[in-house]
Amino acid sequence: MYAYQESPVTAPEEHLGSNPPEKLGDFIAFGTGSATGPSGSVLGTRGVEMEALVQLGLPIRQGITVPVGSAERLTEERSAAEAISLVSDGLPLATHLFRLSASAPVAVAGLPPELLCLGLSLDNFEQHAETLGRPDELGAVWAGTIRAVAEHALAVPAAAISGVVLDVVDSIAQAQALLDLCSAEGRAPYPSGVAEQLALAARVMLTRWASPRAQRARRAQGMASDLALALHLEDQLIHSWEQMGRGIAVSRDSETGYFSPHGHFHSGLAQSTTAEGGHVLAVLPIGSDEVSAAVRALETASRTAVEVDFEYSPAGVRVIGFQADRRPTARTTVALSVELAEQGVIDRTAALAAISPDAVSELLHARFRLTGSERLLVRGLPASPGAAIGRVALTSERVVELAQTGAPVILVASETTPADLPGMLAAQAIVTSRGGSASHAAVVARGIGRPAVCGAGDLNINPATGEVRAGQWSVREGDTISVDGWTGAVYAGTIAIRQTEPTPELRTVLGWADDVRRLGVRANADTGQQTEVAISLGAEGIGLCRTEHQFLGDRLPLIQHVLLAGDSDTERTALVALAAAQREDFRTLLRAVGDRPVTVRLLDAPLHEFLPHHAEHANPADAELARSLREENPMMGVRGVRLAVLHEGLYPAQVQALFTAWLDVAAEGIRPQLEVMVPLVSMVEELSFVTALIRREAAAITERTGVTVPYRVGTMVETPRAALLAGRLVEEAEFLSFGTNDLSQLTFGLSRDDVERRMLAPYLEQGLLTASPFVSLDPDGVGELISLAVTRARAARPDVKLGLCGEHGADPSSIALCDRLGLDYVSCSPQRIPIARLAAAHATMGS
Amino acid sequence: MSDTEDQTQDMSEPVRNALVELVIRGMYRGEPSAAQAALVERGLALVKGPLLMPTLQAAALAGSLVRTPAGGDVEARVRRLLEAFLPINRTLRELCTAWQIRPDGSVNDHSDAMYDAGVRDRLDDVHDSTVPVLDRLTAVLPSIGEYAPRLQAALDRLDSGETAWLASPLLESYHTVWMHLHQELLMRLGMTRKEDEELEAALVAGQAALVPRQAG
Repeated sequence: MYAYQESPVTAPEEHLGSNPPEKLGDFIAFGTGSATGPSGSVLGTRGVEMEALVQLGLPIRQGITVPVGSAERLTEERSAAEAISLVSDGLPLATHLFRLSASAPVAVAGLPPELLCLGLSLDNFEQHAETLGRPDELGAVWAGTIRAVAEHALAVPAAAISGVVLDVVDSIAQAQALLDLCSAEGRAPYPSGVAEQLALAARVMLTRWASPRAQRARRAQGMASDLALALHLEDQLIHSWEQMGRGIAVSRDSETGYFSPHGHFHSGLAQSTTAEGGHVLAVLPIGSDEVSAAVRALETASRTAVEVDFEYSPAGVRVIGFQADRRPTARTTVALSVELAEQGVIDRTAALAAISPDAVSELLHARFRLTGSERLLVRGLPASPGAAIGRVALTSERVVELAQTGAPVILVASETTPADLPGMLAAQAIVTSRGGSASHAAVVARGIGRPAVCGAGDLNINPATGEVRAGQWSVREGDTISVDGWTGAVYAGTIAIRQTEPTPELRTVLGWADDVRRLGVRANADTGQQTEVAISLGAEGIGLCRTEHQFLGDRLPLIQHVLLAGDSDTERTALVALAAAQREDFRTLLRAVGDRPVTVRLLDAPLHEFLPHHAEHANPADAELARSLREENPMMGVRGVRLAVLHEGLYPAQVQALFTAWLDVAAEGIRPQLEVMVPLVSMVEELSFVTALIRREAAAITERTGVTVPYRVGTMVETPRAALLAGRLVEEAEFLSFGTNDLSQLTFGLSRDDVERRMLAPYLEQGLLTASPFVSLDPDGVGELISLAVTRARAARPDVKLGLCGEHGADPSSIALCDRLGLDYVSCSPQRIPIARLAAAHATMGS
Repeated sequence: MSDTEDQTQDMSEPVRNALVELVIRGMYRGEPSAAQAALVERGLALVKGPLLMPTLQAAALAGSLVRTPAGGDVEARVRRLLEAFLPINRTLRELCTAWQIRPDGSVNDHSDAMYDAGVRDRLDDVHDSTVPVLDRLTAVLPSIGEYAPRLQAALDRLDSGETAWLASPLLESYHTVWMHLHQELLMRLGMTRKEDEELEAALVAGQAALVPRQAG
């Protein structure tokens, strides 16, 4: 599992290299293989790793590599004896044990497990057991080796072996029974001599590597079935149990991403590297400094986060191996890239390239907004990621009942059984008091995508009374709690959820992205508050302010009065009220925008979203009128510019509100760059018609106030016809903004709301589509239309500003396409601005 | 005559079997069979939407129906085999966890063939140690004989590339079949989950951490 290909230490022949080659017959001593240029294809990945460790001056085990392709030689006793004498280096054999492992030319899973305690026999067992002080542990490790040899080298029937393993529980007795079994049913007895044992161990490696199981593993990884092995013989320490052991140290804190060597270790002969049952690195008997130094050295050399496998004894620490973190967490990637770039190890472009837009997205994940005043009910193990808020239910049955009322429910139980599956399915999250992150409850919760906190041992659950106690707090069935499956915290009540702020390192990286990118990044924001968020996340302006969003909720009647006005006087009165309300909104928005550009889209209201439902009408005439306005297909109905042509006063009223708001903020010294945008245009004539209305209103304001408000007029390109006619639209329009959601719907001729749910999954499955055209801009059709529009628009008006607004504005592949098509900016939702900034930089770097 | 006998003596064999199976599986999704409908009639199962769930009473009843005689030879043998099963149970849960979540806590999206192959390879150790235990259990409790083929069927699906067949609770996945097996063993022995967890913890602690780690 060592990923050399990806880091500088992966190529020892380039970086290492002055040790004289120690040709030892067929064998190569650790650390001496690079001079002749051998790489993984000779040394195996473990041999290469040893070269790197020696080159860095780190302490390792005594050992030799049997090169790839020569492993068969080690099954000969004479060669095995030679190998033993090389590794023991003249020390008396009686005090030494050995271990044999295997590796392939490339990193691969499914290698045969290491064989330990080679050299152990009934003659010296007592002596080693006494040194270790734990005879049982030595017996268990030995039994494991004898078992593998019995099965794979001595042809002892598997059923007989598993019979012994099940019947003889005591480890020393089991080892003895396995020895007896080899004598009785094996091709030969288990030998007592170390060379004979090693020869058999080498046979085990080769047999195991040729087994169907190993073949399957190679197939699953796309590896050749005849991939050859290198073998590695190393010395094995035996000291007293308290003084020796094995551990794992990782270089970075996965939460913060900062360098912070930490890990755990197990005493004795333990082969497990899991944290469970281990001790933290800080209490290592010989101190953790040597381990930390090794971690630092390896991280610097690898230029990535590392995991270091080590053993310790009174003689010090020895590095057993290390692994470059092939998939560091988003925080680690960002923190490490910034560090390396600031140290000059890599340049900023490389730092940017190392960070994916997905990593940025992950860093900005919505989390609970903690204020310090919340009631922390209990803290357990974070067993399944995600956050949820819901009402407490203590039995599966109760969850199902409550969920049927539509309420979000959280199952709180001591543990779960198969009978709890219906409850877990109906719940938003699961909390258990027992079991860990590998409990059945955790496995099931992850399997069905529910957040879970497990092993919250302080919870006292009483299904009979319906009460859950935890320390000083208690909640009852039906009460609301908030569960954080990332941190393991469970809070009483409802905790607000908000997006995480960018870390300082992420801000640094995004600053570098801004220096690199060509494409501008603006935000889709409708309110002052959204604008503030967008600007704080780096938006250069507002690319889309949807004015109809200001009329949802209590303000809906303001629009309805305009739409349903029976005569021009009523309509005029309704428009005055509408303009007054909008002026206030625009003022807040423009203040937040500051001196940046802001594209305000005039009303684009599909009628069905704004007309009242039949029953809500006060008088029958309104009801009748509303009925007559109902449309079969509102998406393609009287909306956008069409509404403005039918209600001539509408856009001028909006322009008046916007321009007077501009005058208000201009008086405060703020000069937003107004861009007035007309939606859903498909005809040049429509655009000319409303542009004239807009210019007339602007002139009226100038006349009234004596001030000329600077502005540009432009249009959205949402219909294929508009795209085709872009060259003529720019006679009126000073900018074009591609509304790619509608443009995609109309180009494909499909209604997203109706079709996406049913069509998308089968289309993706059948390979008809590789991505939803609403997520990832279709380069062939929609992209071609945009390309054509860009060419025609620029030819007619070279200084025309071209942008894209909509969800595509934060999709990395769509951003790359926009960059290629030569747009000036993309506009996306405020929360996704950081992703768009990075993706735009990647687009520039890639081009 | 005991309560259990009271309540089960007029049950037909298929209804009893349906009762035990429903309790072992925890739920049933789909159109209830005639035997399952009989359970609903007797108040031993509830229909919740598309799901059929056993009641608490059903669980107790099923438990007493399958309980091996306390203090007998069969109980002692099953108990010894449970002790062999539980440490493997721990390993299986760890493997399922590794299959779902990578060591850094991120979701395993199965795009890393080497990682998945490593987990799958370790599953063979679990399966190879489990089969002999199941063979011995089947010798004393014939109903256990159905689990080995069910586990093998899940493995086959997994090996055909369907990643959900290791740990998904919504399929007859390896973990699902395993949970049913575990549940049946506990019912046979009349053990609670708590006693079971404590026994598992003690057995695992006694084994020390001697699992070999691969070199590559």
